[in-house]
Amino acid sequence: MRGKMDKILQKRKTVKEIYFIAILALAILVLLGAAFAQYLCPYDPNAQDLALALQPPGGEHLLGTDRYGRDMLSRIIVGAKVSVFSALTLVAAVCAVGTALGVLCGFCGGWLDEAVMRLCDMCLAFPGLVLALAVAALLGGGIENAAIALGVVSWPKYARLARGQTMTLKQEDFIAAARLAGDSAGQLIRRHILPNLAGPVLVMAALDIGTMMMELAGLSFLGLGALPPTAEWGSMMSDGRTLFQTKPWVMLGPGAAIFLTVAVFNLLADALRDRLDIRSMGNEM
Amino acid sequence: MFKYRRGILALILALCILPLSGCGGDASADPEQSGQEPVTFTLGDVSFSAEHDETDVNPHRGYSGWACIRYGVGETLFRYSDTMEIQPWLATGYTLIDPLTWEITLRQDVRFTSGRALDAQAVKECLEHLVEVHDRARGDLMIDTMEAEGQTLTIRTTQPRPALLNYLSDPYGCIIDMAWGISEEGIVSGTGPYQAVSLVTGQELHLVKNKDYWGGEPQVDEITVLTISDGNTLTMALQSGQIDAAYGMPYASYPLFENEGYTFSSTPTSRAFFLCMNFESPLTQDPAVRQAIATAIDKEGFVNTLLEGNGYVASGAFPEEFSFGGGVTPQAYDPQGAREVLEAAGWVDSDGDGIREKDGKNLVIRWLTYPSRQELPLLAESAQAALGEIGIDVEINSTADCSSYLSDPGSWDVYASAMITAPTGDPEYFFASCCLDSSVANHGGYHSDRLEQLAQEMAAAFESGERSRLAVEMQQILLEDNAYVFCSHLRMSMISRAGVTGLTAHPCDFYELTADLRVEEP
Repeated sequence: MRGKMDKILQKRKTVKEIYFIAILALAILVLLGAAFAQYLCPYDPNAQDLALALQPPGGEHLLGTDRYGRDMLSRIIVGAKVSVFSALTLVAAVCAVGTALGVLCGFCGGWLDEAVMRLCDMCLAFPGLVLALAVAALLGGGIENAAIALGVVSWPKYARLARGQTMTLKQEDFIAAARLAGDSAGQLIRRHILPNLAGPVLVMAALDIGTMMMELAGLSFLGLGALPPTAEWGSMMSDGRTLFQTKPWVMLGPGAAIFLTVAVFNLLADALRDRLDIRSMGNEM
Repeated sequence: MFKYRRGILALILALCILPLSGCGGDASADPEQSGQEPVTFTLGDVSFSAEHDETDVNPHRGYSGWACIRYGVGETLFRYSDTMEIQPWLATGYTLIDPLTWEITLRQDVRFTSGRALDAQAVKECLEHLVEVHDRARGDLMIDTMEAEGQTLTIRTTQPRPALLNYLSDPYGCIIDMAWGISEEGIVSGTGPYQAVSLVTGQELHLVKNKDYWGGEPQVDEITVLTISDGNTLTMALQSGQIDAAYGMPYASYPLFENEGYTFSSTPTSRAFFLCMNFESPLTQDPAVRQAIATAIDKEGFVNTLLEGNGYVASGAFPEEFSFGGGVTPQAYDPQGAREVLEAAGWVDSDGDGIREKDGKNLVIRWLTYPSRQELPLLAESAQAALGEIGIDVEINSTADCSSYLSDPGSWDVYASAMITAPTGDPEYFFASCCLDSSVANHGGYHSDRLEQLAQEMAAAFESGERSRLAVEMQQILLEDNAYVFCSHLRMSMISRAGVTGLTAHPCDFYELTADLRVEEP
């Protein structure tokens, strides 16, 4: 009986492993596609040819053309670079800043903890996207400014997570042992705290990639993100808004690209969480 | 039996009278009293908003006069015919006594919605308030004194104003009852077929019919004007039946309504999409740069493809159909010529990045525009590609807050905008408001001695042929200096559902809701 259960569990584990590898492969494919976008484009994504405006999908233009006669497929491929890498850079930045601040707060406590946590409270008191809209409007257009605006509202959750984890870890026996062994504060953080909180932070960051991609696209859709002629999925959807009922491919192409890419990164985050077994890891600690 | 016969007769009489009782004059006029459903009409409009400086229906405030006249609240002394000729409206006629003195006679049968009769004193009070609070009107009308006597108003101007009647036909010239005043919401009492009863800026305006309208009782009892600034929302509102008609529909949505369920009313207008060069910017001070921009923009492609044929390529400030419109020679579309002009002026791409440089500085044009006119961002992006082809990089700033940037001449090089260049049916308006040293909208700080001199001549010319000749010469100066680049004129359309009649597009874009409006159930 036990042997049968072990077999089932082993089979499940294998399926999960294959699923994780498949999703990871898809995510890597998206990243490679974005990295080498300029080599994959069949046409110059910014070249206008008004004579070819609004061609339906098929023939020479697989996904059709927009109202300036630009090839939609080329723009979607190039748009991946802006949309995906902006989101990745943003997540990396907020994750690093938020985690660093959270660890410092959790480890040092005192006035620093008070000040940073109250700042977190202030940021979290506003609806995220609304605050980002206000910041983006203040900074002006451009994908960089949109990323900064989202960064301003996104770091507190990492700070809170890292602080909580650090405060828990600080009470653990192995930290006390390391302290007795003569580790300095920097060594404690580097050798013992950061490796132990990396799992939850990594999963949160992976989950955030899709969210950030959506929010960046949202800001661009509202005209607060990428500036013309930059191909960015949100602004491409916005450009095609008025054509939605008559020439739907102009909006559906970038919309599908956002949907698929966000789905891949969200599935990857879920698979990563299962693989790292975050809940049980917390219990073990 | 006889007793019963009397009873039967009384019953028959009562049955005969009963249906007739509904035909009484007052009762039929008021649907509530007659028990009939009121005839209602809802218009969706993209332009009735603060962004377009139309926050209410007070004609003495900014450009709100457009809302006042468009929605049938106010009327002017004179109006434009379909061919943009001046014709009497609240006035019956005029006499030019001398170059400074105009005697205007008014209709006898007009009342404001407040109940006050329209007479010369009421018009005088209205115009006095107008020139007191409205800078543009004060500059246009140049009123020195006014005398009111019965139905005769005598206006004396400080200078000869050949276009006085045209200016009085501007929406700011809507005659309102100043004794009734202007409410906090910006509601006024006019003489039009509809009376404004409530208003929430940026949301909706409610109107009811003016039963005592001098032009005959309107057939629509209640009207709601909804501000719908998003083109998609407007499209779906008309599709779903939330609105009966739409003004400012995106061209891309036109095919959805080109069927028997809807009616289009279209007309060419003098609304021009044009570029204004900033003469305070070192880049656009360079004549070669201005000429290159003027010759590299593909106006025909813009009109045929991006405007989907809902416009006309512009040669000058005014449509060619206008008596003062044709006869100018604009820069021809010539990208190769533009490249050569830039090369000759020392703008060359020495580092091979596709952008020309001179004295180590890249040729980057800051293009300022605004998104509320859907055509302008399209023009910006198509110009960006066209200018990119000749080595000019374009940074687009499409913002609703254009006025902040315009007030800082260091923040832009080219300003693309849209305006009705001849709303008064006369060419003087455009030059006076945009091109002269004294113009409030001469954003680029353009100056031409010759233009100033011709403007003075136009200000004193009463003969229309002479005014047209001057207008053509003045436009040619603007074109030769490449101070303005006129890209296209707009074909304006209003779309209504089947069953709506009397909603007709007018070349001056002023008269939308009139007493001719009829609504039948779909």
